Amino acid sequence: MHSSQTDKRYVVFTSIVLAILAIFIYRLVWVQVIDAAQINQISKDARQATRTIDAIRGNIIDNDGHILATTVLSWDVNIDPKNAGPVVLKIAGQKVAFSKEEIGQKLADLLRVPKEEILAKMTGTSRYANLKKSVGASTFSKLKELNIPWVYFDLQQKRHYADGAVAGNLIGFVGSDGSALEGIERMMNSCLAGTDGKETYIQGADLIRIPSSVKVIQQVRHGSDVVLSINSDLQYAAQQEMAATVRRLKADWASAIVIEAATGRILAAAEAPSVDPNRPSAVAAQNRSSRIFRSSFEPGSILKPVAAATAVDTGKATPVTQVVAPDKLRMPWGQYINDSEFHAPMKLTLAGVLVQSSNTGLVQLGGKVDSETRYEYMKKFGMGVRSGVNFDGEASGLLTNYKKWDKMTDQTVMFGQGVSLTPIQTAGIYQAIANKGVRLSPVLVEGCVDKSGNMTKTAVDAPVRVISEKTASTTIDMLEKVVEQGPIGRTARIQGYRVGGKTGTAQIAEGSGYGRLHAVSFVGLAPAENPKFIVAVTAFKSRTVSNSLGATPGFVAVMKQVLKTYAVQPSTTKSKKIPTGW
Amino acid sequence: MSVLRQTQPIRPIAPRRHLRPVTTKVQPVASRARTTRVEASSFRSALPAHILKKLVIGFAAVGILSLIVNALCDTAVYRISSLKIETAALATKTQIIGQQVDSLRSPQNLSNSAKSLGMIVNSNPVFLNVREAKVLGSAIPASVTATSGVSTNLIANAAMTVRSDMSNFGKKTVSSIDAPSLNAKTVPSVKTTNLEGSKVALNSVGIPATPTN
Repeated sequence: MHSSQTDKRYVVFTSIVLAILAIFIYRLVWVQVIDAAQINQISKDARQATRTIDAIRGNIIDNDGHILATTVLSWDVNIDPKNAGPVVLKIAGQKVAFSKEEIGQKLADLLRVPKEEILAKMTGTSRYANLKKSVGASTFSKLKELNIPWVYFDLQQKRHYADGAVAGNLIGFVGSDGSALEGIERMMNSCLAGTDGKETYIQGADLIRIPSSVKVIQQVRHGSDVVLSINSDLQYAAQQEMAATVRRLKADWASAIVIEAATGRILAAAEAPSVDPNRPSAVAAQNRSSRIFRSSFEPGSILKPVAAATAVDTGKATPVTQVVAPDKLRMPWGQYINDSEFHAPMKLTLAGVLVQSSNTGLVQLGGKVDSETRYEYMKKFGMGVRSGVNFDGEASGLLTNYKKWDKMTDQTVMFGQGVSLTPIQTAGIYQAIANKGVRLSPVLVEGCVDKSGNMTKTAVDAPVRVISEKTASTTIDMLEKVVEQGPIGRTARIQGYRVGGKTGTAQIAEGSGYGRLHAVSFVGLAPAENPKFIVAVTAFKSRTVSNSLGATPGFVAVMKQVLKTYAVQPSTTKSKKIPTGW
Repeated sequence: MSVLRQTQPIRPIAPRRHLRPVTTKVQPVASRARTTRVEASSFRSALPAHILKKLVIGFAAVGILSLIVNALCDTAVYRISSLKIETAALATKTQIIGQQVDSLRSPQNLSNSAKSLGMIVNSNPVFLNVREAKVLGSAIPASVTATSGVSTNLIANAAMTVRSDMSNFGKKTVSSIDAPSLNAKTVPSVKTTNLEGSKVALNSVGIPATPTN
């Protein structure tokens, strides 16, 4: 009986234990198997955090490896106003108590923000207030040393342009959110911008991440570097000259382009006023982009070599073909073409027409070539289409079809009216003449270099044979006479070197007519016996000098700098003897 | 034979577990002892003592080793973490110094420094042919009245954080050719290095980030 009762108790107890065990097992299976995913998710959500690994934007580098634009760190300085109050700081090993006022003053001094503003932000029950955005490493370091418990920092990326406005109009800039807004930054954004990565980690209750828990779920791909053809030293020198030119001429702006004849590489594309990409808002909006690629205007007489070269290349004229050039030429339909100054009729050769920059002489000689042929030559010289650099927002200029030219435009296009060009297109014309008649697509961006050092070269248009090598040589000979004998051209001489070039004083279209001010230019090449470099200088709306005398000093200074930089030895030969009159 | 001896001890146990709830009789002690003896002797014969010892020691060694490795790994992880903090701090320092160097070698600073020393741009190119002992070009002294060459810096640079201090330059009697005493510990060279800009590690480790962000 006793034994039976014991057994019963034993059975009951065992049953209860088994039942409890069954419940536990059931719950275990429920938690571990059936509901595991959901519980895991809840747990992960509570402990796991995901962080974006910012891709570092690539550098912009000049042709000598000098970094023009890079990415650095900056910090947003934030506080927790609820906890903001007096602090005890360790300064030089000593504990020093600071009142709220005093610490506010210290922060104000470091951040260069008014103390009242800081103190206002330190008041309240909010848990977040931003004191200043994007402070530099130096300020951050000083603040961090203070070790104020309620001051926090958010790391940001910031673009840093070490040389300031050197090539600023080319490089462009990014916005405060890092988006590319202008210039190369925008044009080459696909190369410069990388792809952000992602990592997850487990964090403790105090939001500190547990080091061993970090897991990269998406690899970061940092941006590649853009290599420019620009020589930053030369760019600086050219910008200096252009800034001085703008001051001297009280011009709206001035530009200087340096192109290597044999390669089409743009070694400098300087402008003034220029933008400092570190602080683009410091200059007016119209000065923040590159006029060299975006501004098109009637170039004036610097286009005359095109008509001359066309006439020579088609066999309609030679450098010694004679013409009588009056100051005013009546056209068969009754309209007149004028030279810029009154003068007695001049007996000129084609070379002399360029030397004297005579409109009337040119239309007589250049006009021997039919309109369609001249139009085709102008197209081959690169007019009416983008330069090939494909700069952000680049203009194509304007070259209307010859069929739409009226009788006057048919004549004026020969001396640079009725057609508009960007400064880079103008420089491209002279590059073709200097490069034995072959026009190359100008190169500004050499390529995109990834982190392994592999360069993807920028695609360039195929070379275009514009004029024969002989015609190119003849044209250079004539351009040399402009610098040797031209009334203004001779101010572009460089001692020891043979230089060729052409002046240009273009009227600027305003409304339906032309304005009072001019675009003065000089485009030249050196050394003329074997042209290596082209320098094109333009000053727009010059107010103190109304002809190319305003541009030649800039040309001389920039060309001298180019010859010095690339160690071009002085000429040892003399120019050909070509009569300019008869 | 040994196979039989191994499999036999299992059989008596199964019926005993099966029969236990329905019987009240206690199994004879002798019978249980015999069964146990058979079990033990068969196990001993299957796993000799020295192998068992080795197994136990092996498992213990593996356990201890894994503990040590685990501890080392954890230490290394925390070491890496602290090194990352150090890297971030050094990156900040590098950036500060890098920007100072960038400022000092910027063309704007060099131009201003050269001007403060009374230097004038001479853009007249002249070359010396050492082999033939010839001067190519006309050596013309630089002049402040020359039409070319702008000496004063006209180009803006908001990134310049420091400038060369040339005020002490030339005050001491120079008996040998020294590097100019710029207001920096080392004189930056504009041409000799390609370590341009500030290569920094974008690493947030060690920076107290705003909790609300």
